[in-house]
Amino acid sequence: MNRSSDRWLAYFLILPVVAAVLAFVLGPTWDVATLSLTQFVMGQERGFGTLVNFEALWADPVFGTVVVNTAIWILGGTVFCVLTGLAVGAYLAIDSKVTTALRALILLPWVLPDVVTAMAWKWMLHGQVGVIGDAFTRVGLSDQPISFLGDPDLVMWMLVIVLVWRKMPLVALILCAAIRSVPAEQIEAARMDGANAFQRFRHVILPNISFSLTAVTVISMIWITAEFTLPWVMTGGGPANSSQIMSTYIYQQSFQFFNWGVGSAMSVVNLVFLMAVVGLYLYINRRSWAAGGSK
Amino acid sequence: MKLDISRRGFLIGTTAMAATMGIAAGPARAATGSLSVWKFGGTPAEVEAWPAANERFLADNPDVDLDYSFFNGQIRRQKILAGFQTNRLADVIIAFGQDIPEFAGFGLIQPLDDIATDGQIDDWKTRLVPEVMSSGMHDGKLYGVPTYVDMASFLAVDMDALAEAGYDRPPATWSELREYAKAMTKPDRPGIAFPATTAPVDINIFEGIAYANGGRVFDEESGKVQLNEAGMVDALQLYADLIADGSTPAGTSMTETNFRDTAQLFGQGRAAMWIGLSWLNTPWGTPEGFNWEGAPFPRPDAPSGSFPPVAAIMDGTAVLMVSSRTENPEAAMAYIDFWTQNEQLNTWGGNPEIARVPAGKDAWNSPGLAEAWPNWVSAYNEGNFFAGAEPMPRFIGVSAVESALATAIQQVVLGQKTPQEALDEANEAAQAQIDLLRG
Repeated sequence: MNRSSDRWLAYFLILPVVAAVLAFVLGPTWDVATLSLTQFVMGQERGFGTLVNFEALWADPVFGTVVVNTAIWILGGTVFCVLTGLAVGAYLAIDSKVTTALRALILLPWVLPDVVTAMAWKWMLHGQVGVIGDAFTRVGLSDQPISFLGDPDLVMWMLVIVLVWRKMPLVALILCAAIRSVPAEQIEAARMDGANAFQRFRHVILPNISFSLTAVTVISMIWITAEFTLPWVMTGGGPANSSQIMSTYIYQQSFQFFNWGVGSAMSVVNLVFLMAVVGLYLYINRRSWAAGGSK
Repeated sequence: MKLDISRRGFLIGTTAMAATMGIAAGPARAATGSLSVWKFGGTPAEVEAWPAANERFLADNPDVDLDYSFFNGQIRRQKILAGFQTNRLADVIIAFGQDIPEFAGFGLIQPLDDIATDGQIDDWKTRLVPEVMSSGMHDGKLYGVPTYVDMASFLAVDMDALAEAGYDRPPATWSELREYAKAMTKPDRPGIAFPATTAPVDINIFEGIAYANGGRVFDEESGKVQLNEAGMVDALQLYADLIADGSTPAGTSMTETNFRDTAQLFGQGRAAMWIGLSWLNTPWGTPEGFNWEGAPFPRPDAPSGSFPPVAAIMDGTAVLMVSSRTENPEAAMAYIDFWTQNEQLNTWGGNPEIARVPAGKDAWNSPGLAEAWPNWVSAYNEGNFFAGAEPMPRFIGVSAVESALATAIQQVVLGQKTPQEALDEANEAAQAQIDLLRG
């Protein structure tokens, strides 16, 4: 076959994927974008080409809290998820019988359904009957029961901890695989040159896994942004909106208040926020991203 | 006078008229075709009883292809909305009475008056308690048939704890409630607990207390949210006072404990009283030999709201409605008609379900109900049970207002704001939402 027919065959082969992306990604995104510029409540369209939904958002006293909580949720969740994932992944990369077993066991939190995870943690963290608060009291860390999910100052960070517990295993396994693929001779050469364990990790392993690290960070950020079940089942956005994040508030506006226009406007803000953070992150890490992509 | 009609015409006309009347008055014909039903929420006994009744419906209507689905009550709004938008809404929807104004306003459901056969609704009225049936009405039309109602607010009392504190009857007024709760509090067991999450039932429980104090969340006539009126503020002050008295679990704990969890904690002896709906602990169970009683929630010493104080507020959570997009209204109405028969309505007559206030008149004669709730049955027989009861809040935008109210309750329970401050803020936020929704 000549080069021209090869090109047409390539186009033909990617056609189903392009069609799927258009139908399931770009189509709904466009729909949400236009809906955000439409006053649409209770199933009735009341005019297109208006910024009334965005104005309602800015005027909403809850929205500021939602933005701050969402920043904690996405940025805190991603940072802790990747950092603990990296630490656990580095440990799992060591060859031993224990780590071999742990590589399989660590996926347990990942395979549990979201609702089961949320309900189990909700009860473990409960102020009156939770085992975690009870353990704190028994060892003398607290003189009274702690309501981890009922305390407005603690609740967002508790959600982040549960999120990390749930999402970190896959991050750890991906990074473990990346670390194990680092050429042994490079590590050995660094060791012969007198590099200690930290220096070998910093100057040999990290540069080698930078592409995987960047990819897994971006993917984690997207996962966490889309996560709804954990916060909704555990707190419902409470107490007093102190764990209200974009995904729960979009749900509330759209499906509880039937206010689709405002829900869509919030989705657009969420998308722009995510694109900005991911874009900035990829720009900062453009070298490792480009190097990995060219391999 | 001479009629301008031939004998032949007269005979055809009168025969057709007689035939029509005969069809209308005769026994209901068996329905045919496919029929989809979505049921949302229910107690464990109802979840089992409903499909069993469906089998009886199919036996009576063998030509109906029934597709019955059960869903969690919390997801009903998005499920129904998604079904409507994708044109895949079930023919019959069994949801909450509080949903009716919004579903009707949205065009999701249709008035049953428009599709009922002659005399059908009058026939239902002979078997349904009028006060309960009227909770299916909206704008003068019947949009849904309730099979039972839940009422707010009630108080479950650990009778051993009550006696231990030196009392022989449940508290009757707010001031008595504070006194009892304080006296019944022990270091490891609060005197009273109430749920304060954002769950709709938790909000309904508070609304029952506030409405009894002459409060309202919304005034339909003026279109104004009423959250910061005295009736509401003073009811929320009662919550604040109970916490300040040291009679409750920590505020942080109550904001993470919903009605179901609070009921379970009461059953485990972790609170001496709890505030709930009419079913109190019955769906969630109590240990064998646990000595408890249910009582109406104490009345305010002097109602302070500007509206008439109610005895209770009520809502059905299994109200049968017909989708506006049904292609088989005959089968849908046959299904609703089936559920208005005594055999089905007796599901809530104490066997198998004792947790609800039945809609069927015949269910009130059931020995099971009399055994479970003797005070209810005697009050019903005296004609007092529904006296002064009103439907739970129901209007377009009710979810937005109740959500703002839930936030205010939590702010007060956590000690972040006074009731007046929290409800002023909630009122403003809710009014903005209402204005946006109502245009």
